[in-house]
Amino acid sequence: MDFAHFPDAPVVTRRPPVPVKIIVSGGFGVGKTTTVRSISEIPPLTTEAEMTSVAIGVDEPRADSLKTTTTVAMDFGCVTIDETLKLYLFGTPGQDRFGFMWDSLVNGALGALVVADSARLDDCYQSVDYFERSGLPFAVAVNTFDGRLTHTLAEVRWALAVNDRVPVIAFDARRQSSVADALLVVLEQALDRVQHQ
Amino acid sequence: MNGDGRGTPDPEPIGRIPPYLRVSPSGAAPTGPPNRDTQSASLRPFVLTAGRVNAVDPEIDVETQVTLRPYDPRVGRVPLASLGPEMQAMVALCDQPISVAEISARLRLHLGVTKILVADLRAAGYLDVHVADTLSPVSADTILRVMHGLRALS
Repeated sequence: MDFAHFPDAPVVTRRPPVPVKIIVSGGFGVGKTTTVRSISEIPPLTTEAEMTSVAIGVDEPRADSLKTTTTVAMDFGCVTIDETLKLYLFGTPGQDRFGFMWDSLVNGALGALVVADSARLDDCYQSVDYFERSGLPFAVAVNTFDGRLTHTLAEVRWALAVNDRVPVIAFDARRQSSVADALLVVLEQALDRVQHQ
Repeated sequence: MNGDGRGTPDPEPIGRIPPYLRVSPSGAAPTGPPNRDTQSASLRPFVLTAGRVNAVDPEIDVETQVTLRPYDPRVGRVPLASLGPEMQAMVALCDQPISVAEISARLRLHLGVTKILVADLRAAGYLDVHVADTLSPVSADTILRVMHGLRALS
Protein backbone atom coordinates (compact mmCIF):
# COMPACT_ATOMS: atom_id res chain seq x y z
CA MET A 1 0.00 0.00 0.00
CA ASP A 2 2.78 2.32 0.88
CA PHE A 3 4.25 1.85 -2.53
CA ALA A 4 0.96 1.96 -4.37
CA HIS A 5 2.21 5.02 -6.19
CA PHE A 6 5.34 3.19 -7.27
CA PRO A 7 4.80 -0.49 -7.91
CA ASP A 8 8.35 -0.74 -9.23
CA ALA A 9 10.03 1.27 -6.53
CA PRO A 10 12.75 -0.62 -4.65
CA VAL A 11 12.01 -1.10 -0.99
CA VAL A 12 15.55 -0.17 -0.01
CA THR A 13 16.72 3.06 -1.58
CA ARG A 14 20.31 2.79 -2.71
CA ARG A 15 22.59 5.52 -1.43
CA PRO A 16 23.75 7.54 -4.42
CA PRO A 17 27.46 8.00 -5.13
CA VAL A 18 29.18 11.17 -4.01
CA PRO A 19 29.67 13.23 -7.17
CA VAL A 20 32.85 15.13 -8.00
CA LYS A 21 33.44 17.13 -11.15
CA ILE A 22 36.16 18.41 -13.43
CA ILE A 23 35.49 21.21 -15.90
CA VAL A 24 36.68 20.80 -19.49
CA SER A 25 36.91 24.21 -21.07
CA GLY A 26 38.21 25.88 -24.20
CA GLY A 27 37.20 27.58 -27.42
CA PHE A 28 34.81 26.34 -30.07
CA GLY A 29 35.91 23.19 -31.88
CA VAL A 30 39.08 22.47 -29.90
CA GLY A 31 37.93 19.02 -28.84
CA LYS A 32 36.06 19.46 -25.56
CA THR A 33 33.28 17.07 -26.50
CA THR A 34 35.79 14.60 -27.95
CA THR A 35 37.69 14.75 -24.66
CA VAL A 36 34.54 14.01 -22.68
CA ARG A 37 33.45 11.27 -25.09
CA SER A 38 36.83 9.51 -24.96
CA ILE A 39 36.65 8.88 -21.25
CA SER A 40 32.94 8.95 -20.38
CA GLU A 41 31.14 5.66 -19.75
CA ILE A 42 27.99 7.13 -21.32
CA PRO A 43 27.73 8.96 -24.65
CA PRO A 44 28.09 12.67 -23.85
CA LEU A 45 24.80 14.35 -23.00
CA THR A 46 23.97 17.95 -23.70
CA THR A 47 22.14 20.37 -21.46
CA GLU A 48 21.42 24.03 -21.84
CA ALA A 49 22.48 26.39 -19.09
CA GLU A 50 22.43 30.06 -18.39
CA MET A 51 25.77 31.77 -18.16
CA THR A 52 26.28 35.23 -16.85
CA SER A 53 28.74 37.12 -18.98
CA VAL A 54 30.61 40.15 -17.82
CA ALA A 55 31.94 42.59 -20.36
CA ILE A 56 35.70 42.29 -20.47
CA GLY A 57 38.06 45.10 -19.60
CA VAL A 58 36.37 46.04 -16.36
CA ASP A 59 38.47 45.20 -13.35
CA GLU A 60 35.86 45.48 -10.66
CA PRO A 61 32.47 45.26 -12.25
CA ARG A 62 29.84 46.57 -9.93
CA ALA A 63 26.95 44.31 -9.20
CA ASP A 64 24.34 44.26 -11.95
CA SER A 65 26.47 46.34 -14.25
CA LEU A 66 27.47 45.23 -17.70
CA LYS A 67 26.15 41.75 -17.16
CA THR A 68 24.34 39.79 -19.79
CA THR A 69 22.96 36.31 -19.64
CA THR A 70 23.39 33.86 -22.46
CA THR A 71 22.25 30.31 -22.88
CA VAL A 72 24.99 27.90 -23.82
CA ALA A 73 25.05 24.21 -24.58
CA MET A 74 27.09 22.15 -22.17
CA ASP A 75 28.27 18.61 -22.87
CA PHE A 76 28.95 16.23 -20.05
CA GLY A 77 29.83 12.67 -19.28
CA CYS A 78 30.78 10.59 -16.26
CA VAL A 79 33.14 7.92 -14.97
CA THR A 80 32.09 5.68 -12.10
CA ILE A 81 35.13 5.45 -9.81
CA ASP A 82 33.47 2.98 -7.45
CA GLU A 83 30.08 2.43 -5.84
CA THR A 84 30.42 5.51 -3.68
CA LEU A 85 32.24 7.94 -5.97
CA LYS A 86 31.40 9.23 -9.44
CA LEU A 87 33.39 11.68 -11.56
CA TYR A 88 31.51 14.08 -13.82
CA LEU A 89 33.13 15.95 -16.68
CA PHE A 90 31.46 19.13 -17.88
CA GLY A 91 32.52 20.63 -21.19
CA THR A 92 31.85 24.36 -21.29
CA PRO A 93 32.49 26.72 -24.15
CA GLY A 94 34.56 29.83 -23.88
CA GLN A 95 33.27 32.90 -25.61
CA ASP A 96 34.84 35.64 -27.63
CA ARG A 97 34.65 39.19 -26.34
CA PHE A 98 33.32 38.13 -22.97
CA GLY A 99 34.66 37.00 -19.74
CA PHE A 100 32.17 34.84 -17.95
CA MET A 101 31.11 33.74 -14.58
CA TRP A 102 30.69 30.05 -14.21
CA ASP A 103 30.47 30.28 -10.47
CA SER A 104 27.50 27.96 -10.17
CA LEU A 105 29.17 25.39 -12.39
CA VAL A 106 32.72 25.75 -11.13
CA ASN A 107 31.70 25.82 -7.49
CA GLY A 108 32.98 22.65 -5.85
CA ALA A 109 34.91 21.44 -8.92
CA LEU A 110 38.15 19.53 -8.35
CA GLY A 111 39.80 21.46 -11.15
CA ALA A 112 39.68 22.31 -14.83
CA LEU A 113 41.31 21.14 -18.03
CA VAL A 114 41.66 23.91 -20.61
CA VAL A 115 41.76 22.30 -24.04
CA ALA A 116 43.71 24.34 -26.58
CA ASP A 117 44.40 24.19 -30.30
CA SER A 118 47.95 25.46 -30.76
CA ALA A 119 46.96 27.02 -34.10
CA ARG A 120 44.21 29.05 -32.43
CA LEU A 121 45.50 29.81 -28.97
CA ASP A 122 43.50 32.99 -28.58
CA ASP A 123 40.36 30.83 -28.29
CA CYS A 124 41.40 29.63 -24.86
CA TYR A 125 42.62 32.92 -23.36
CA GLN A 126 39.28 33.52 -21.68
CA SER A 127 39.25 30.11 -20.02
CA VAL A 128 42.83 30.47 -18.78
CA ASP A 129 42.08 33.95 -17.51
CA TYR A 130 38.94 32.81 -15.73
CA PHE A 131 40.57 29.88 -13.93
CA GLU A 132 43.62 31.93 -12.95
CA ARG A 133 41.34 34.49 -11.36
CA SER A 134 39.01 32.01 -9.71
CA GLY A 135 41.91 30.10 -8.17
CA LEU A 136 40.65 26.75 -9.41
CA PRO A 137 43.48 24.24 -10.06
CA PHE A 138 43.85 23.80 -13.80
CA ALA A 139 46.12 22.61 -16.58
CA VAL A 140 46.36 23.59 -20.24
CA ALA A 141 46.18 20.60 -22.57
CA VAL A 142 47.08 21.19 -26.21
CA ASN A 143 45.12 18.84 -28.43
CA THR A 144 47.50 17.19 -30.92
CA PHE A 145 45.31 16.92 -33.98
CA ASP A 146 46.83 14.09 -36.04
CA GLY A 147 49.72 13.87 -33.64
CA ARG A 148 51.29 17.18 -34.54
CA LEU A 149 51.70 20.47 -32.76
CA THR A 150 51.82 23.76 -34.61
CA HIS A 151 53.89 25.23 -31.80
CA THR A 152 56.05 23.75 -29.09
CA LEU A 153 54.69 23.58 -25.55
CA ALA A 154 57.25 26.19 -24.51
CA GLU A 155 55.89 28.53 -27.18
CA VAL A 156 52.33 27.84 -26.03
CA ARG A 157 53.27 28.58 -22.43
CA TRP A 158 54.95 31.81 -23.50
CA ALA A 159 51.98 32.86 -25.63
CA LEU A 160 49.44 32.17 -22.91
CA ALA A 161 51.64 33.75 -20.22
CA VAL A 162 50.43 31.29 -17.62
CA ASN A 163 51.96 30.95 -14.19
CA ASP A 164 54.98 28.61 -14.05
CA ARG A 165 53.09 26.29 -11.77
CA VAL A 166 50.31 25.74 -14.31
CA PRO A 167 51.11 22.58 -16.31
CA VAL A 168 51.04 22.91 -20.10
CA ILE A 169 50.85 19.48 -21.71
CA ALA A 170 50.10 17.88 -25.07
CA PHE A 171 47.39 15.24 -25.35
CA ASP A 172 45.21 13.42 -27.87
CA ALA A 173 41.53 14.05 -27.13
CA ARG A 174 40.55 10.93 -29.07
CA ARG A 175 42.49 8.52 -26.86
CA GLN A 176 41.10 7.46 -23.50
CA SER A 177 44.49 6.90 -21.90
CA SER A 178 45.71 10.30 -23.07
CA VAL A 179 42.62 12.04 -21.65
CA ALA A 180 43.04 10.12 -18.39
CA ASP A 181 46.67 11.28 -18.19
CA ALA A 182 45.61 14.89 -18.79
CA LEU A 183 42.96 14.66 -16.06
CA LEU A 184 45.57 13.16 -13.72
CA VAL A 185 47.71 16.26 -14.24
CA VAL A 186 44.73 18.40 -13.17
CA LEU A 187 44.16 16.17 -10.16
CA GLU A 188 47.84 16.43 -9.16
CA GLN A 189 47.30 20.19 -9.08
CA ALA A 190 44.13 19.76 -7.01
CA LEU A 191 45.90 17.44 -4.60
CA ASP A 192 48.78 19.84 -4.24
CA ARG A 193 46.31 22.63 -3.45
CA VAL A 194 44.50 20.61 -0.78
CA GLN A 195 47.69 19.41 0.86
CA HIS A 196 49.21 22.87 1.12
CA GLN A 197 46.23 24.64 2.55
CA MET B 1 -8.22 41.10 -3.96
CA ASN B 2 -7.57 40.35 -0.35
CA GLY B 3 -10.93 39.02 0.72
CA ASP B 4 -11.50 35.88 -1.26
CA GLY B 5 -10.73 32.49 0.17
CA ARG B 6 -8.56 31.26 -2.63
CA GLY B 7 -5.49 33.04 -1.40
CA THR B 8 -5.82 32.01 2.24
CA PRO B 9 -2.58 30.37 3.35
CA ASP B 10 -2.69 26.96 4.96
CA PRO B 11 -2.45 27.13 8.74
CA GLU B 12 0.15 24.38 9.11
CA PRO B 13 3.74 24.96 8.11
CA ILE B 14 4.20 23.59 4.66
CA GLY B 15 7.66 24.77 3.86
CA ARG B 16 8.33 25.81 0.33
CA ILE B 17 5.81 23.62 -1.41
CA PRO B 18 4.26 25.54 -4.28
CA PRO B 19 0.47 25.87 -3.93
CA TYR B 20 -0.31 23.47 -6.75
CA LEU B 21 1.74 20.72 -5.10
CA ARG B 22 0.18 20.97 -1.65
CA VAL B 23 -1.97 18.16 -0.33
CA SER B 24 -5.43 19.56 0.13
CA PRO B 25 -6.93 19.06 3.62
CA SER B 26 -9.95 17.24 2.20
CA GLY B 27 -7.71 14.65 0.59
CA ALA B 28 -9.17 15.35 -2.80
CA ALA B 29 -6.78 15.69 -5.67
CA PRO B 30 -5.97 19.33 -6.22
CA THR B 31 -6.60 20.82 -9.57
CA GLY B 32 -3.03 20.61 -10.69
CA PRO B 33 -1.72 21.41 -14.12
CA PRO B 34 -3.70 19.36 -16.61
CA ASN B 35 -1.92 16.60 -18.45
CA ARG B 36 -0.71 17.89 -21.72
CA ASP B 37 0.04 15.87 -24.78
CA THR B 38 2.28 18.55 -26.11
CA GLN B 39 6.06 18.29 -26.02
CA SER B 40 7.88 19.98 -23.18
CA ALA B 41 10.06 21.73 -25.68
CA SER B 42 7.08 23.58 -27.05
CA LEU B 43 6.40 25.27 -23.72
CA ARG B 44 8.23 28.36 -22.65
CA PRO B 45 10.50 27.74 -19.63
CA PHE B 46 8.62 30.20 -17.43
CA VAL B 47 5.39 28.27 -18.02
CA LEU B 48 6.99 25.11 -16.63
CA THR B 49 8.31 26.93 -13.58
CA ALA B 50 5.16 28.99 -12.95
CA GLY B 51 7.07 32.17 -13.63
CA ARG B 52 10.00 31.50 -11.33
CA VAL B 53 13.50 32.12 -12.66
CA ASN B 54 15.65 31.19 -9.67
CA ALA B 55 15.85 27.84 -7.98
CA VAL B 56 14.61 27.99 -4.42
CA ASP B 57 17.53 25.77 -3.45
CA PRO B 58 20.67 27.43 -4.76
CA GLU B 59 22.74 24.58 -3.34
CA ILE B 60 21.33 22.22 -5.99
CA ASP B 61 24.27 21.78 -8.35
CA VAL B 62 24.62 20.24 -11.79
CA GLU B 63 26.22 17.08 -10.40
CA THR B 64 23.93 16.83 -7.36
CA GLN B 65 22.45 13.34 -7.06
CA VAL B 66 18.68 12.83 -6.95
CA THR B 67 16.82 9.72 -5.77
CA LEU B 68 13.21 8.69 -5.20
CA ARG B 69 11.91 9.28 -1.72
CA PRO B 70 9.93 6.32 -0.37
CA TYR B 71 6.29 7.24 0.18
CA ASP B 72 5.48 8.16 3.75
CA PRO B 73 1.72 7.81 4.40
CA ARG B 74 2.00 10.01 7.51
CA VAL B 75 3.14 12.91 5.37
CA GLY B 76 1.16 12.25 2.23
CA ARG B 77 1.64 13.90 -1.08
CA VAL B 78 -0.30 14.95 -4.11
CA PRO B 79 -1.06 12.13 -6.55
CA LEU B 80 1.55 11.63 -9.24
CA ALA B 81 -1.12 12.00 -11.92
CA SER B 82 -1.84 15.55 -10.79
CA LEU B 83 1.72 16.66 -11.51
CA GLY B 84 2.71 18.13 -14.83
CA PRO B 85 4.12 15.72 -17.42
CA GLU B 86 7.64 17.08 -16.93
CA MET B 87 7.49 16.34 -13.22
CA GLN B 88 6.05 12.89 -13.80
CA ALA B 89 8.88 12.16 -16.21
CA MET B 90 11.39 13.35 -13.61
CA VAL B 91 9.98 11.04 -10.95
CA ALA B 92 10.17 8.13 -13.41
CA LEU B 93 13.82 8.96 -14.23
CA CYS B 94 14.88 8.98 -10.60
CA ASP B 95 14.27 5.26 -10.19
CA GLN B 96 18.08 5.04 -10.08
CA PRO B 97 20.34 7.74 -8.57
CA ILE B 98 20.78 10.39 -11.23
CA SER B 99 22.42 13.80 -11.50
CA VAL B 100 20.52 17.04 -12.07
CA ALA B 101 22.47 17.53 -15.31
CA GLU B 102 21.41 14.12 -16.57
CA ILE B 103 17.73 14.79 -15.77
CA SER B 104 18.04 18.05 -17.70
CA ALA B 105 19.63 16.35 -20.70
CA ARG B 106 17.34 13.33 -20.81
CA LEU B 107 14.15 15.40 -20.54
CA ARG B 108 15.53 18.16 -22.76
CA LEU B 109 14.72 20.72 -20.13
CA HIS B 110 16.80 23.81 -19.51
CA LEU B 111 19.16 23.30 -16.56
CA GLY B 112 17.62 26.21 -14.66
CA VAL B 113 14.11 24.83 -15.18
CA THR B 114 15.28 21.40 -14.07
CA LYS B 115 16.71 22.74 -10.82
CA ILE B 116 13.44 24.51 -10.00
CA LEU B 117 11.28 21.47 -10.73
CA VAL B 118 13.62 19.14 -8.82
CA ALA B 119 13.39 21.47 -5.82
CA ASP B 120 9.59 21.44 -6.14
CA LEU B 121 9.50 17.65 -6.21
CA ARG B 122 11.70 17.53 -3.15
CA ALA B 123 9.36 19.89 -1.33
CA ALA B 124 6.38 17.81 -2.48
CA GLY B 125 7.91 14.66 -1.00
CA TYR B 126 8.74 12.80 -4.20
CA LEU B 127 12.50 13.19 -4.41
CA ASP B 128 15.53 13.21 -2.15
CA VAL B 129 18.15 15.70 -3.28
CA HIS B 130 21.56 14.87 -1.84
CA VAL B 131 22.92 18.38 -1.61
CA ALA B 132 25.12 17.68 1.41
CA ASP B 133 27.36 15.48 -0.73
CA THR B 134 28.44 18.46 -2.81
CA LEU B 135 28.70 21.06 -0.07
CA SER B 136 31.75 19.87 1.83
CA PRO B 137 35.21 20.61 0.41
CA VAL B 138 36.82 17.73 -1.42
CA SER B 139 39.39 15.88 0.67
CA ALA B 140 42.82 14.68 -0.41
CA ASP B 141 41.56 11.14 0.06
CA THR B 142 38.74 11.69 -2.44
CA ILE B 143 41.15 13.17 -5.00
CA LEU B 144 43.48 10.19 -4.56
CA ARG B 145 40.57 7.81 -5.10
CA VAL B 146 39.63 9.58 -8.35
CA MET B 147 43.26 9.39 -9.49
CA HIS B 148 43.38 5.71 -8.69
CA GLY B 149 40.16 5.16 -10.64
CA LEU B 150 41.46 7.02 -13.71
CA ARG B 151 44.74 5.10 -13.66
CA ALA B 152 42.76 1.87 -13.63
CA LEU B 153 41.08 2.89 -16.90
CA SER B 154 44.21 3.03 -19.00
